[in-house]
Amino acid sequence: MTQTKPSTPVVRWLTTLDHRDIGVLYVVFGAIAGLWGATDAMAVRTELLSPGLAVWDAATYNAFFTTHGLTMLFFFATPVAFGLANYVVPLLVGADDMAFPRVNAVAFWLLPPALLLARAGIVGQLLGIPHLAPPTTGWTFYPPLSTQQAGHGVDLVLLGLHLSGVSTIASSVNVVVTIAIARDESVSWASLDMFSWTMLTTAGLVIFAFPVLGSAMLMLLSDRLVGTTFFAVEGGGPMLWQHLFWFFGHPEVYILVLPAMGIVSHVLPRFAGRRLFGFRSVVYSTLAIGALAFGVWAHHMFATGMDPRLRISFMAVTLAIAVPSAVKTFNWIATLWHGAIRLTVPMLFCVAAVGNFVLGGVTGVFLASIPVDLVLHDTYYVVGHFHFLLVGTIVFGLFAGGYYWFPLLTGRWFDRGLARAHFYLSAFGIPVTFLPFLLVGMAGLPRRVAAYPPEFALLHYVATFGAYVLGVGQLLFVWNALSSAVRGEPVETTDPWELDRTGQRTPEWASGAETE
Amino acid sequence: MSTQESHEDHGHHLPAVEDWPRGFGEASWWPFVTAIGGAGLYVGAALYIIASGNSGLLPAMAGPAVFVGSVGLFLVGIYGWVYHAFVSHFWSRDTSANGSLALKWGMVAFLGSELATFGAVFTYYFFIRAGTWPPQELPHLLGSLVLANTALLIASSFTLHWAHVAIRRENRRQFILGLIVTLVLGAVFIAGQVLEYYEFIVNEGFTVTSGIFASAFFGLTGLHGLHVSLGAVLLGIVLIRALAGQYSADRHVSVSTASMYWHFVDIVWIFLVVVLYAGAVVGGTGA
Repeated sequence: MTQTKPSTPVVRWLTTLDHRDIGVLYVVFGAIAGLWGATDAMAVRTELLSPGLAVWDAATYNAFFTTHGLTMLFFFATPVAFGLANYVVPLLVGADDMAFPRVNAVAFWLLPPALLLARAGIVGQLLGIPHLAPPTTGWTFYPPLSTQQAGHGVDLVLLGLHLSGVSTIASSVNVVVTIAIARDESVSWASLDMFSWTMLTTAGLVIFAFPVLGSAMLMLLSDRLVGTTFFAVEGGGPMLWQHLFWFFGHPEVYILVLPAMGIVSHVLPRFAGRRLFGFRSVVYSTLAIGALAFGVWAHHMFATGMDPRLRISFMAVTLAIAVPSAVKTFNWIATLWHGAIRLTVPMLFCVAAVGNFVLGGVTGVFLASIPVDLVLHDTYYVVGHFHFLLVGTIVFGLFAGGYYWFPLLTGRWFDRGLARAHFYLSAFGIPVTFLPFLLVGMAGLPRRVAAYPPEFALLHYVATFGAYVLGVGQLLFVWNALSSAVRGEPVETTDPWELDRTGQRTPEWASGAETE
Repeated sequence: MSTQESHEDHGHHLPAVEDWPRGFGEASWWPFVTAIGGAGLYVGAALYIIASGNSGLLPAMAGPAVFVGSVGLFLVGIYGWVYHAFVSHFWSRDTSANGSLALKWGMVAFLGSELATFGAVFTYYFFIRAGTWPPQELPHLLGSLVLANTALLIASSFTLHWAHVAIRRENRRQFILGLIVTLVLGAVFIAGQVLEYYEFIVNEGFTVTSGIFASAFFGLTGLHGLHVSLGAVLLGIVLIRALAGQYSADRHVSVSTASMYWHFVDIVWIFLVVVLYAGAVVGGTGA
C-alpha cells in the first residue's frame, strides 16, 4: 500500500480511519479513564480507613463511589474491550478494515467529550461550586433521589452518558457488520475464532440494551428539567426506572464480561499448547449467555416488593445463566489438562481470571436465589461479588489481551519483570481487597455508606490495604506500558509468542499465516 | 514494526482515495469534525441547563450559541463525509456486493437499536395504561387530523417503494417523481403534527406537563416526529443526488437504506396510532 504520511502526528491521529490506529486510541483513552476511575476508588477506600467521617464528608464520599462506577463501566472497560476488538477482529476475520471506518472514527471521537461531560462535576468539586458538584446517587440513578437531587451534576452526567451510549451503539453496529458481512470468504461461521464470537455477541447485546438506557436517561432528564412524570410516583414510578435501567444494566454485565471471556478463550489455549476444549460448546454457551442476558434483569429488584411470581421466574433464568458460564469454566480447565503450559504474563492473567471468575460466579449463584438475596441485598457482599467479576475477571482478561497483543500493537516487548510484578501485586490485591467485602457483607454491613460501626474496622483496613496494593500494581503497568512502547526491545519476528511451535498461530500475527 | 508491515500487502482497498486531507489513504477530517459538532450539541445543552439554573455562572446565551454553532459544524462534517465517501466518483467507486450488503445490514442493526429506543418510552405508556384509565381528561385524540396524517404517511411508504422500483428499472423520471411525492407527503405529515400540537397546547391547554398521559403522548409523538424529520433529511439527500443524475439499476444502496429507515418509521407510526391514540380512547373504564 503506497500512501504518503500526514505531515504531523497530530493530524495523523485526528484523521486516521485505520482500525489499528483507532484501536490504539480506544485503548489509550480507556486506560486514562481507568486511572481516573481508580483514583475515585482510592478516595473511597481512604475514607473507609476510619469508621467515622475522617477524610471526606458524606456527600463527597457518595460522589466518589458514583463517579467510580460510571467511569469504570462506561469509559474504561467498554472502550478497552472495543479497542482491542477494533485492532484484532478485522485481522482475525480477514476484513480489510472495520466495515465502516468513518463510523469507527466518529464513534471514538465522541468518547472524550462524553467523558469530560460526565466528569464535569470535578470542576464544581475543585472550585467549590455546589451547583456543579458531581451526582451522589450511585451509578444506578434511582429516582426519586435522582429526580430530586439539586444542582446540575446529575444533568451533566446524563448528557455525557447518553453521548457515550451513541458512541458505543455506533461501534457495535460496526463490529456486528464487520464480523457478519465483511469477513473474508475463507473465514466461515464454522471457522470463526472465539474472540470474534464473543465480540459479535457483545455488540449484539449493546444494540438492544444501550438504547433503552439512552431513552430512560433522556426521560429522567426531562423529569428533572421539564416536569414530565416518567418516573414520578403518580406516573411510571421509581419501579419503571429500575426495570428500564436493569433491562440495560444486566446485559451490560455480559457486554463487559464476554470480551474478557473471549480473550481468555483465545489466549489460554495458546499457552497450554492445546486447542480450546469443546470449542463448539464455548460458542453455544456464548450465544446462550447473550440470549439469557435479557431475561434476568429483575434479579436486581428482588427486594422491591415486586410480584412474587415474576420474582421466581427471574430467579430461575438467573440460575440458568450459571450453566453456560460454568460450561466455559470447565472448558478452560479442561484445556489446561495435560497441556504444555507456558506461564507467560498473558497466561498468568488468564489463569487468575478463571480462578476469580469461579469465586465471583459462585457468589452470584447465591445472590440469584431470592431468600439469600433478601438477606444480602444492598450489603458489601454484592459489591464483593461483582468486583471479583469486574476486576478479577474482566480487567484481568483485558490485561491478558493487552500483554498478549502488546508486541502487535507497539512492535516492542514489555518489560517482563515489571509485568510479572504487576501480575502478582494484582492477583494478591484482588482477594485481599474483596474477600473482606464478602465477610462484612455477610455480617450485614450495608454498602454505599461512608461511616460504619467500629467492629468492622479491621476488615476494612485489610480491604483498603489490598486496594492500595492493587493501585501500586496498576502504576507499575502504566509505567511499563509507556516506557516499553517507546524504548522496549523491538519485536523481530511475526511470531513473538512462538505459536508456530504448536501450530497455533492466528491471522492477527501475520497475513497469510495458517489459520486454525 | 515488523509485525505490522506484514499486513501492508494484504490488499487494503482504501475507503476513499480523495478526501480531506488529500492522499493520505485511510485518513479523513470529516468524522472528527462531525464528532466535535455532535458532541457540541450535548455541550450546548449542558451549558444551557447550567445557565437556566440562575446561578449566574454563565451568560444565558452561551448554551444556545454553542448549540447552534455545533449544529453548523455537525452539518458541515456530514456534508463532507457524504460527499467524499459516497457522492464524488459515484460512478467509478467500488460496488462490490459485500460493500452494499454491509451498508444494508448496518441499517438493519441500527434499526434494531431504534426499536429499543422506542421500546423504553412505550414501556412507560404501558405502565400507566395498565393503571386506572383514563388517568385524566384526555384531549380529543381520534379526529380527522390523525386519520389523514396516518393515511399520508402510509401512502408515502408506497410512493417511496414505487420510486425504488422505478430506479431498479432505470426509469429516472418516475424515480424522481416518486421521491418528490414522498417528501411532500412527509412534509405535510410533519406539518399535521405541528398543527395537532398547536391545537392541543394552545386551544385545549394540553401541554407536556399536563399529567401522566401528556408525558407519554408528547414523549412518543415527539420522538417519532424527530425520526420522521431525520428520515426526510435522508430522503432529501437522496433526492438531491438523484437530481444531480446519480443512481442506476446497479447503484442504489443509499436509496435502499433510506427507504428501510422510512418504512421503519412508518411502521412505528402505525403501532403508535393503534396503541397510543386508539388504545387511550378504547377500553378505558371512563371512556
